[in-house]
Amino acid sequence: MTNLLTLITFVPLFGALAILAVPKEKTKAIHAIGLIAAAISFVLSLLALGQFDKASSAMQLVEKAAWIPSFGVNYHLGIDGLSLPMVLLTTLLTLVSLIFSMSVENRVKEYWFWFLVLDVGMLGVFVSLDFFLFYVFWELTLVPMYFLIGIWGGPKKEFAAIKFFLYTLFGSVFMLLGILALYFTSTPHTFDITELMKLHPGWSESFQITLFIAFYLGFAIKVPAFPFHTWLPLAHVEAPTAVSVILAGVLLKMGGYGLLRVSYSVLPLGFKWFLPILIVIAFINIVYGALCAMAQTDMKKMVAYSSVNHMGYCLLGLAGVTATGFNGAVMQMVAHGLVTGALFLLVGVIYDRAHTRDMSAFGGLGAKLPIYTALMTVTVFASLGLPGLAGFVGEFLCFLGAFQRFKLFTALSVLGILVTAAFFLRMIQKVFLGPLNQKWANLEDMSWREIIAVAPLTALTVYLGVWPRPALDLMNPTINNMIQSLAAVFK
Amino acid sequence: MVNLKLLSPEIFLSVLALILMLADLWVPRKHGKLLFHLGIAFSAAGLLSLGMAYSDPANYQGMGTSWVVDPMGLFFKVIVLITTLLSLLLSLDYAGEASARTAPTRHLGTFAGLVLLCSVGMMLLVSSVDLLLVFLSLELVSITSFILSGFERTNLKSSEGAMKYFLIGAFSSAVMVFGISLYYGATGTTSLIGVRDQSGTLVGLASLMILVGFGFKASVAPFHLWVPDAYEGAPTPVTTYLSIAPKVAALAAMLRVFLQLMPGDIDMPRLFACLAALTMTVGNFTALFQTNVKRLLAYSSIAQAGYILIAFVSPGGLGKEAVLMYALAYVFMNVGAFTVAIMIGNEDSYELEAYDGLASRSFGVSLLMAFFLLSLAGIPPTAGFIAKFYVFAAAIEAKYYWLAIVGVLNSVVSVYYYLRIAYHMFFMPARKREPLSAGFYLYSGLAVAAFCVVFIGLYPDPFIASAKISSATLTEAARSVKTALSPVSVPARGG
Repeated sequence: MTNLLTLITFVPLFGALAILAVPKEKTKAIHAIGLIAAAISFVLSLLALGQFDKASSAMQLVEKAAWIPSFGVNYHLGIDGLSLPMVLLTTLLTLVSLIFSMSVENRVKEYWFWFLVLDVGMLGVFVSLDFFLFYVFWELTLVPMYFLIGIWGGPKKEFAAIKFFLYTLFGSVFMLLGILALYFTSTPHTFDITELMKLHPGWSESFQITLFIAFYLGFAIKVPAFPFHTWLPLAHVEAPTAVSVILAGVLLKMGGYGLLRVSYSVLPLGFKWFLPILIVIAFINIVYGALCAMAQTDMKKMVAYSSVNHMGYCLLGLAGVTATGFNGAVMQMVAHGLVTGALFLLVGVIYDRAHTRDMSAFGGLGAKLPIYTALMTVTVFASLGLPGLAGFVGEFLCFLGAFQRFKLFTALSVLGILVTAAFFLRMIQKVFLGPLNQKWANLEDMSWREIIAVAPLTALTVYLGVWPRPALDLMNPTINNMIQSLAAVFK
Repeated sequence: MVNLKLLSPEIFLSVLALILMLADLWVPRKHGKLLFHLGIAFSAAGLLSLGMAYSDPANYQGMGTSWVVDPMGLFFKVIVLITTLLSLLLSLDYAGEASARTAPTRHLGTFAGLVLLCSVGMMLLVSSVDLLLVFLSLELVSITSFILSGFERTNLKSSEGAMKYFLIGAFSSAVMVFGISLYYGATGTTSLIGVRDQSGTLVGLASLMILVGFGFKASVAPFHLWVPDAYEGAPTPVTTYLSIAPKVAALAAMLRVFLQLMPGDIDMPRLFACLAALTMTVGNFTALFQTNVKRLLAYSSIAQAGYILIAFVSPGGLGKEAVLMYALAYVFMNVGAFTVAIMIGNEDSYELEAYDGLASRSFGVSLLMAFFLLSLAGIPPTAGFIAKFYVFAAAIEAKYYWLAIVGVLNSVVSVYYYLRIAYHMFFMPARKREPLSAGFYLYSGLAVAAFCVVFIGLYPDPFIASAKISSATLTEAARSVKTALSPVSVPARGG
């Protein structure tokens, strides 16, 4: 199939348009259309995995067609070992979030419509190789997210929605200016990312630094890197469960992906200049994020801050600029998507039943809800980096990769792991151990729908923790090539 | 060369407008809407007559004594007539201000005729290369718009807005005429072509005063103060019309007059950069606090004029194309937003609260409204994004980085108030259950606007290509001929 990437990206859009045509009372039909669209997209992405040549570092499944010839804009898609894991993560998380979202009863039609549009935007970001297209998809994720948070969110949803929108837009408009500057500096003018990657030797350091800052604003806000993280706790906490999953699981990855794909590959001198700052930011993200999580009693808020902490590991891996570090960063992004996605789903499960997320309100649920407790425990251990689970692999590689370049800050960042373990274990203790709070005597264990949503994520967490080879093999050639081609710059 | 036949579309339309006004005397009141239909047909006929100039450039494009018909002028004429057509379409279903339902039922032929005459004024304006014609056509535009914005006679706000508009308009015309007289004193002619010496303090002063006159028409800050009152008071279809056509036409004329013909000793791009920054900032920050949708859109239209002005910093490069592209996108997104505003205004009012819960009543309409608003804010994949992209590209190309930064920051700010409307539509609970009902003409206006905004947003290439072709002007050619003939600059080519 030659248009595989197009299909993966736009099948959800057709699903969304079909949903528009269904009367809003027919929720079953809406669910069916949405799930089918997401499932097709997921299956197609598996197909892409099958067709993908793991040994090659080149762009694969490339599609290219002129879109706006007068500006040199192409419809240019392609995947390599960096973007394919992200695409798989996106299609998988969208599918499980939609399964979980079948419990949404309010304004079903609109919810599923926006969700599928969001999916299109996210997939598009990871597969586009043209800056114009990249930017269009990047912005396309904002609007559905605004509505999803603002309509179906918690008590402060409106404020969270607009803060998310303005914050992210603020970053991305600078990215737009950066894209334009790249366009006018290149001869012949081009928006093609693969072409622009080859041009950096001709650009002065000050130019690259300026542009790096412009792009960094866009990416750092998404990651979110300190001090641009303040939108995240609010948005994550107010968003409905499935949307938090997507926010943490995919949207944050757009930032990390952008740093690798654009900041590092297109503007290496800028990236190099920024490294000493990046390592400090990574350290702050790790330790400060963990400490903030420690201070929370609301489970969802705690998970949200733990995302700041986990994306800090990812930045740490990036700051190393070694094949190990980059592998770790990508692995960490995948692991964080799976683990934190599952965590948000699990917190949503308990919230749907108890209508509170305050961990001190619970106690002794371990005996009462065995399935829930098992899944939650595995996920939490993965999140705090227990060896044998996916989280460990990513974190370990990140530390290993960064240590060669920045010994002090990497060593200090280990503190973060300690704090992470502390707050997660405290949560386990407060919620699942001890005497059962009689108020929750009638709590039911997870339903099939919820198990189907969470189980695949848990299974993958265990699988990638025990045997990470397949994932690493997938990304390694691309990342080795990235490191080698710029080895001279980062000596 | 008098070359009057170049102006045949304008002449043709003026005759039709006068026929409409005369017909008003005989057509009975209850059939008044018939005259609107005629007006729509006439503007369509005007568009067709422009097709003549496109198909037969040898005969219908060229220089006249004080006018020029070239691709750029034609492009703006098309834009003006499309706006006219759509605004008249919206007028058919307009029910008047909420408080009194004051939609005019009498003199509908006069109304349609005035709109057509106003359009004729703009078509002349974008073609003029003589300050006298500039002034006359601007006056034609102004006087008809004064009457149009005061057309709801029984509505006090309408009269108030028209009065303010008139006083400030008269004042700005006076300043402009004074500037023109200075120009005449310095150069001995009012013509913009063929003037040898355009430098000197006097010409500089004249340019500034003429710029003030234009600034009022295009609602450029700090000359924008009349806008919100006039726009709020005017019948909404007129607001739609006034917020697009005169603004675009005035900007087009400025492009021709200031950047091609009258440089003087002033660094015009820098002046325009400052005006652009001021205009968008003032427009956006004031719009943040509006609770009436008409006023909100009025301030937004000021900000939009500011964005267009950004492109003026790069007159030689992408700038002209950016202005054309922006104008085109602006027509459809603004018409779209106003169409929904009229729908809601007909049913309830123009206050933001009237939009509460629209999404649960009519999801399609609210989705489209959100789409138009996002387009105005410049979020992809909409026409507005392509336009903004073009404008910022022009700024970056001209190395006005600070202006581009001010521009993008402004579009972030603007998202806040555009989404305020979305907030009311999607987040607030509905006060009514039944779906929004609106007339056939409103829905057709909506459909046209939505189609164009989507189409330009997704497949802008044909429009960019036509903007590229249309950015060619004959005035530049005339200017280069003039320099080529002057013995000082190119003596060898004297023969």
